[in-house]
Amino acid sequence: MTKKMKIRIAEIIILLIALLVVPLFVKNNYYLLVFNRILINAIVVLGLNFITGLTGQMNLGMAGIFALGAYASALITRYANISPWVGLLLAIAVGWVIGQCLGYPSLRVKGVYLSLTTIGFAEVIRLMFSNLTDITGGTQGMRNIEPYSLFGFKFDTQGKMYYLFFVITAFGFFIAWRIVYSKWGRVFKSLRDNAEAVEMSGVDIADVKIKAFTICAIYGAVAGALYAHFMGYINPSTFTIDMSTNFVIMLLIGGLGSVIGNIFGAIIVTILPEMLRFLDDYYLITFSIIVLLGAIFFPNGWVDAVVRLGKKTINIISDKRAENGKAVSR
Amino acid sequence: MNAAVLVQLLVSGLAMGFIYALVGIEYTLVWNSTGLLNFSHDKLIMLGAYLFGGTFVLGMGFSNPLAIVLAFVIMGLIGVLIANGIFNPLRTMQSMIFAVMGTMILGRIIKEACRLIWGPAPFAISGWLSGNIRIGKISISNANIIICLVSLLVVIGLQLFLNFTKTGKAMRCVAQNKKAAALMGINVTQNICITTAVSAIICSIIGILIIPLFNVSTTMSNSIGLKGFSAGVIGGFGYLPGAIIGGIIIGIVENLAVMVLPAVYKDVVSFVLLILFLLVKPTGLLGKRA
Repeated sequence: MTKKMKIRIAEIIILLIALLVVPLFVKNNYYLLVFNRILINAIVVLGLNFITGLTGQMNLGMAGIFALGAYASALITRYANISPWVGLLLAIAVGWVIGQCLGYPSLRVKGVYLSLTTIGFAEVIRLMFSNLTDITGGTQGMRNIEPYSLFGFKFDTQGKMYYLFFVITAFGFFIAWRIVYSKWGRVFKSLRDNAEAVEMSGVDIADVKIKAFTICAIYGAVAGALYAHFMGYINPSTFTIDMSTNFVIMLLIGGLGSVIGNIFGAIIVTILPEMLRFLDDYYLITFSIIVLLGAIFFPNGWVDAVVRLGKKTINIISDKRAENGKAVSR
Repeated sequence: MNAAVLVQLLVSGLAMGFIYALVGIEYTLVWNSTGLLNFSHDKLIMLGAYLFGGTFVLGMGFSNPLAIVLAFVIMGLIGVLIANGIFNPLRTMQSMIFAVMGTMILGRIIKEACRLIWGPAPFAISGWLSGNIRIGKISISNANIIICLVSLLVVIGLQLFLNFTKTGKAMRCVAQNKKAAALMGINVTQNICITTAVSAIICSIIGILIIPLFNVSTTMSNSIGLKGFSAGVIGGFGYLPGAIIGGIIIGIVENLAVMVLPAVYKDVVSFVLLILFLLVKPTGLLGKRA
């Protein structure tokens, strides 16, 4: 083990410990709620990164996948009267089915069809859930969804849920990290850069795209299931196209294809509107304008922009020092 | 189910079909010229209706024709702004997601701005395209007839513009091959501005036409925007006559579907058609390329 790796591992452990003790110091339930939302959003963005960030296919219907996961888990917990963990498994299955059924027609042919089908799919899902009043409660939504529990220990407060979601997000992050730096991840990335060359190398690009989309749908559905049991109340009017747009904004702000960027994107886009709440009626438009300007001027993501700025200042400082005849250390 | 109801459904379906066809044309123009999808188009439709109804007719009390012309002028300028602010800087990026997201966020900004400027409550414009025509037992609203006529005029006018004027021909060149067009001395950037402006003006035409059907509200054009995309895929993506055919098919099929399905699932029909076409004939009815 090299020295660099040791430092890296130490860094990760310190970060994990810092994140784990957060609920001990933050007693405010509202802050914890925001943290939990960040964790759930992060899972969605990690998934979205595969199809939109790596293979470059626009998925604009993440809200529909999220909603389907949420309702699948909530409905089976309610009507079959079983543990929400089974709902989580069901959500994984639902995600796989969406990935295959929606991915096959829209990714088999070249073009922008995925963005159109996913956007339509999300609308249809929302309409179905608002109109199937007997099963889903329609626009009234579903109330009193049971929280997760483990061997009799109920995750019923924001602080307890924080730990649960933290573990699940960390697990999701680890898997995403491993996939991105595996053979699959490399094929996904090469697809974005030059699809023709990949096809010439004997890779079935449709199959690869469907794979990426399926992973994305599974992540989305799992996050949806977590959301249902976290909020305890779901309503179809939450899962609008605005929600899908928000997820893509998170991906964009974090930087396409970067797994750590995904997490930062989820943090920024979840916290920034909350911080702008003091603007009252104008907070959403201010937030949108900030994001639009960011998309035009820092298309590679805000994280990348900050890193570059940091490197530039370091370079300038060390240049200055070199001019003054001091040692240069870059 | 008697014949009169069937005819009425067909006529209103045809009118909606023409609206979808216009939506299809409007975004196909942008798609051909920039290779990007304009996801703020439904918000532009809404903005056109708000400008016409909210500001010029109800706010300033102008006559209807003057209000229409002013709405066109402002929408054209907004189109140029969008082209210069989003399409031209972002179309050369390695992935189209940047520009597409730019338009989506722009759509959000427009929606919020409309809510802040004109208030969240929907409103109607009394006397605008109202009234009915009765032929025997069949009653057809004036709005539907005017929608069909105006749409036909727009389609014909656009074809004439694209085929017989220098700017129109240049637009077709840019759609076919940007590099060659630039080498032939066409200013591609400027051409994209003009195309986006034309597209924005068509958006405002749609917005003004659908006021009697949906009233003026921030959600008036949500489903229309999506169905316009389905129309494009069904007819043949990126092909103007295809968008028209696809739009009319969707309009009629979804109106007739009301006879067999509960009315709330009317909006699902176009999506199902979209998936079916992608499975069976992804090039669309009139599409040429694979």
